[in-house]
Amino acid sequence: MNRDEAKNILLLYRNPADAEDPQIAEALALAKNDDNLAQWFEKLCARQNALREKFRQIAAPAGLKEQIEAAVKQKLGQAARTTQFDEFKGRLLSALRYDLEKIIFSRRNFALATATVIVALIALATFWFRPQKGDDTFAIYQNQMASVALRGYAMDFMAANPVEIRSYLAKNGAPSDYNFPAALEKIPVTGCAIESWQGKKVSMICFRTGKPLPPGQQSDLWLFVVDRATVKGAPVTSMPQFTKVNRLITSVWTQGDKMYLLGTEGDEQTIRKFL
Amino acid sequence: MAESVDFEGLVVRHYEPLYQFAFSLTREKSDACDLTQQTFCIWAAKGHQLRDISKVKTWLFTTLHREFLGSRRRQTRFPHVELEFAAAELPTVSPASVNRLDAAQLFDALAQLDEIYRGPVALFYLQDYSYNEIAEILDVPLGTVKSRLTRGLSRLHQMLADKPKP
Repeated sequence: MNRDEAKNILLLYRNPADAEDPQIAEALALAKNDDNLAQWFEKLCARQNALREKFRQIAAPAGLKEQIEAAVKQKLGQAARTTQFDEFKGRLLSALRYDLEKIIFSRRNFALATATVIVALIALATFWFRPQKGDDTFAIYQNQMASVALRGYAMDFMAANPVEIRSYLAKNGAPSDYNFPAALEKIPVTGCAIESWQGKKVSMICFRTGKPLPPGQQSDLWLFVVDRATVKGAPVTSMPQFTKVNRLITSVWTQGDKMYLLGTEGDEQTIRKFL
Repeated sequence: MAESVDFEGLVVRHYEPLYQFAFSLTREKSDACDLTQQTFCIWAAKGHQLRDISKVKTWLFTTLHREFLGSRRRQTRFPHVELEFAAAELPTVSPASVNRLDAAQLFDALAQLDEIYRGPVALFYLQDYSYNEIAEILDVPLGTVKSRLTRGLSRLHQMLADKPKP
């Protein structure tokens, strides 16, 4: 191993544990007997430590932990339901198979077997569509709507006239008796979409604030309106509550039987301008 | 089963190092948050397949890196670069100048590295993983990890040396 080869190998050295690597060990041994290489290596270590410090100074944004916990809770709930459903389906199918065999080999109990099949199917449907627990909380709603805004959505209806948007939402059974905050009324609308939350419709109204947008993006401010009763733990206050959800700043308030969630990229000051 | 694991404890223990890794890969706070959250969501859905729970940290890092590469592949074709031996003579970047370096400059330089180098370089600085563990996380042979690291570190030092001093 010559000096240049040793330098390439010593680039990978971080701590004494790395010296267990035979190549690194050989390069270190060479450095012990080569002053020039030893000096170079000493500078390298200092430089690497300084860089390592810089890397380790990266701090996670506030609220990320809570956001992840809410998302994981939701996922775990879905996974548990899927497992329960699969087990239930398996038991049901084996019971059905047993009944069908009975029908094939003996038609005497045909009516009874048919009734069993129908009852079983109803039970299956009831199980699947039963009200779910734990995934209807405010944090999950907030997270889900923020994901819709950030990860892409298709507008169901595009219009620059707020009246047309309200009319479209009403016609399609989504919340339409909403009120905009005074400042939001001055922001041009671009359209709307109808999202779903716990089987209920959520009106998503899209706005354009006027700042430059990437190609293909038509909105940068979104208002979600939902019946407050469908979101457990929704804040019962008309004073906007601000929360950062990923790169979205959200403002949430309730008015009458509706809960409003306004979101845009930026910070609290950004969103306050629209309230 | 993923459910039987104390997931809140799992999040508390690992979200920050995962975020640091994600940020090193993406240089964007929001993308790093997305990647970190997505990693835990994948764990929630598939974590039960993990037989050895002591490997959960490695599993999370592997998943995050795969997600990162997957998202990049969807955005752009992955450039293939033949590896060559790194330049033996490193540019002179003194520790003092590294200390003066703005974090943004460091991550700008890191972002300019090809994606195949970014993962190993970030793990090299952020974690105390052995090279075998880095190879496992990145799903490449040990020799490839070493050659990518040599190349990636060499390039990073080169770029930092070229940066105008603050």
